Amino acid sequence: MKIDHSVPLEYSTEENKMKILGFWIFLGAEIALFSTLFAVYFTLQTNTNVGPSASDLFHLSPVMIETILLLSSSFTIGLGVHAMRLGLKKPMMTFFGITLVLGAAFLGVEVYEFVTYVGEGATIQTSGFLSALFTLLGTHGLHVTFGLLWGGSILLQIKKRGFTPETANKSFIFSLYWHFLDVVWIFIFSFVYLKGLM
Amino acid sequence: MKWDEFFVTGEPMIYAAMVSIVVVSLAIPIALTYFKKWNWLWTNWLTTVDHKKIGVMYVLAALLMLFRGGVDALLMRAQTAIPDNGLLDGQHYNEIFTTHGVIMILFMAMPFIIGLMNVVIPLQIGARDVAFPRLNAISFWLFFAGAMLFNISFVIGGSPDAGWSAYFPLASLEFSPTVGNNYYSLALQIAGIGTLLTGINFLVTILKMRAPGMTLMKMPMFTWSVLITNVIIVFAFPVLTVALALMTLDRQFGTQFFAMQSGGMDMLWANLFWVWGHPEVYIVILPAFGIYSEIISTFARKNLYGYKSMVVSMVAISLLSFVVWAHHFYTMGHGVMVNSVFSITTMAIAIPTGVKIFNWLFTLRKGKISFTTPMLYALAFIPIFTIGGVTGVMLAMASADYQYHNTMFLVAHFHYVLIPGTVFGVIAGFHYWFPKVFGFMLNEKLGKLSFWFIIISFNVTFFPLFILGLNGMTRRMYTYSESTGYGPLNMLSMVGAVGLAIGFIILVYNIYWSVRYSPRNIKGDPWDARSLEWSTHSPVPEYNFALIPTVNKLDAHWFAKKEGKSLTSGKYEPIHMPNNSGLPIIMGAAFFLWGFFMVFSWWIPAIILGVVILGTMAYRSFEKDHGHYISVEEIERTENALRGEQHEN
Amino acid sequence: MKQLFPAQHVLGFLFSLLLTLVALVTVWFDLSFAAGLTILVVTAIVQASLQLFLFMHVKENAESKTLYMNILYALFVGLVTIFGTLFTMHWGYMVK
Repeated sequence: MKIDHSVPLEYSTEENKMKILGFWIFLGAEIALFSTLFAVYFTLQTNTNVGPSASDLFHLSPVMIETILLLSSSFTIGLGVHAMRLGLKKPMMTFFGITLVLGAAFLGVEVYEFVTYVGEGATIQTSGFLSALFTLLGTHGLHVTFGLLWGGSILLQIKKRGFTPETANKSFIFSLYWHFLDVVWIFIFSFVYLKGLM
Repeated sequence: MKWDEFFVTGEPMIYAAMVSIVVVSLAIPIALTYFKKWNWLWTNWLTTVDHKKIGVMYVLAALLMLFRGGVDALLMRAQTAIPDNGLLDGQHYNEIFTTHGVIMILFMAMPFIIGLMNVVIPLQIGARDVAFPRLNAISFWLFFAGAMLFNISFVIGGSPDAGWSAYFPLASLEFSPTVGNNYYSLALQIAGIGTLLTGINFLVTILKMRAPGMTLMKMPMFTWSVLITNVIIVFAFPVLTVALALMTLDRQFGTQFFAMQSGGMDMLWANLFWVWGHPEVYIVILPAFGIYSEIISTFARKNLYGYKSMVVSMVAISLLSFVVWAHHFYTMGHGVMVNSVFSITTMAIAIPTGVKIFNWLFTLRKGKISFTTPMLYALAFIPIFTIGGVTGVMLAMASADYQYHNTMFLVAHFHYVLIPGTVFGVIAGFHYWFPKVFGFMLNEKLGKLSFWFIIISFNVTFFPLFILGLNGMTRRMYTYSESTGYGPLNMLSMVGAVGLAIGFIILVYNIYWSVRYSPRNIKGDPWDARSLEWSTHSPVPEYNFALIPTVNKLDAHWFAKKEGKSLTSGKYEPIHMPNNSGLPIIMGAAFFLWGFFMVFSWWIPAIILGVVILGTMAYRSFEKDHGHYISVEEIERTENALRGEQHEN
Repeated sequence: MKQLFPAQHVLGFLFSLLLTLVALVTVWFDLSFAAGLTILVVTAIVQASLQLFLFMHVKENAESKTLYMNILYALFVGLVTIFGTLFTMHWGYMVK
């Protein structure tokens, strides 16, 4: 296998470059996926049936906590990739670890939020609006959950194998995924929560 | 759930199907054991990551599904051939037209196209495999799992019966309480994920793995069509993923997306379905356009007329295909504005399509045409497809559509588009590339015989439906009274359907005959063709090209032949190839079982299988697999053998 | 320690927090619907581009043109899906 040392390790082989390109195309597909969920949400957002509406349901503080947690995790994983490019294994692992902890905290708040909603009588079965809301948020949350499992397995591999073209490539691709989830959250934050509270 | 509800009961036809399924599923392992072929099957086929073999498996599965869907079609034609017929009851008829549509589009047309893509694309761009060979195998097994899951609905639990478009509220739990539509949403979901992965795989393959010198504008037209098709796949299939997930949620988790009484919208399903569904039409037709371009240019012995305009029109089609979907439901009750906008965008698609038709005609002009079987299909395609296209423009007029909507006129229209477009295209491609894969040609005489049967019977089957539609016969009606006067034309259509069946049986007999008797002394390039796949041996060795060709223009292989030059130079080097893997088929099996348990809402086994699926992914992540090298000696041996065999004859 | 926190990343992070605060204006003050939505659209787009260019390193990729095409195509399909669905299911639905 030819390794090109003039570029960062994650780009160093032809296979690695193809994997990064392939993952970007996958993210393109994810944009289409989340757009469809947004389309469904916007179409049904006023169909509240007997259940609460967006402004009845949403509270700013948990949403703000979630946003700051996710933005911070996006920052720390960025630092993780930076450390990886400097070849510093321990700081890289620390930053990735912090990212996963922040992601888990985000999930915790989201679960708390869902429990609160259900306690207020707003379940996924109550109305078209709530079905669309829970599905949009839940799909994002499932992505984060999958990210925790995936990121955890990458951390294990880095620990065992150090920086190789394969592990560096996986870590970089995982960072793309994580930033993308942050981007999706920004749109949820703006056009679901803030627009609902406006 | 009771056991007598688990199996479909009370229908002699279904008992016969059960018996045949049991017989076949016993016969296969017994035969494999008897002939000691288990090991061969496992190492050569089930665990393969070779794009050519995966392609062959796709095409094989597609041919099987063609016959399953074809039997559905024959039953429908038989039921409606005479007024007040009692061959099938209403429920059975509903199930059959639903499975016919789903199988023909998603489990016949799609895998046939993807199979040809798999076989041809790496060869045509001078590559040794696709970008992600393992992922390619996973795509195949996910498709296969989805197809099998969908097919067992026939005997276990009952087939979906709400049409291939599964409109709500009909497809909701309230009106379709059996598990049939659960099969629909889950089987399509699994196969759809496989297709999405194929899309990513081929985009990267075409963008990153072309032979040196092959710029985008020097790619063969089939490669271009596949590139555009995969762009559409990548961006359209996520919409289907969401729509199907919402269907599952509505039917099995009590959500309110498409339920009218609690703030859902039934037409939202139709909207999402066609946001995916219309691009899907172009996904199955653009590669066929590419196949025709290759065949017409090869057998007219001329370069393709208007190469650039072909590319531009395909790019235009790929964008337009995403902005026309509402023409599938003009009559659902939206306003004049919506109908006008979608009417105009729909008609606009006729422009790039027309450009392509004229380009093919100009390619034929003054060409030295040889009338081979693939060429006959291509020549028949042009006028027949034009009838389909023109009736499409008729349907595109929103106000007129109120007259045609959901009549047999529509049914005739889309069969006139999809059969000459896709089916003739893949059959032409099948005849054309068959010698490349297997090293011998299909018999031309039998090929032409089946061609004439298929082409004539096709028109006899579907042309009467135009007239029936204009006379007011609606689609999906399982019977009618004699006073309607629909009888004679329906009987004519039935006769055509039988002719079509005979045509396809001759096609299969041709495969059998050619395997037994066809001469094996063909060279690498039996058709005297133009693109790179013909510059290597037939059959193609595992590594495709012993030396990677260098390309400096379009149709480089053709010009190299004429000038007596070679596209390759240098000495053999060890070739890096990916290893086989059993993981993809295990993943496919896990997805199949997961889907099956989900269909019946058996949550605990479904969750366990979900964990198994995650486990296979984790295993893949931790696995170290760097592939293997084929040594120079082995390459020399293979090359000499392939050359020697050809010289002997 | 310092080399672990490149200025660009730190500033980018602070800027993203600032953008979040700006977006909150729509909730804190009683703005018109149009004004509020405009602010949300602008802040969201800037936030997303920040992630794309700063953290996802889209520019450094040798294939960056392909990546832009990919993102543009995805946005085209995404926006058509969102606004097309609203057009057929909402604004143009059951209109006489």
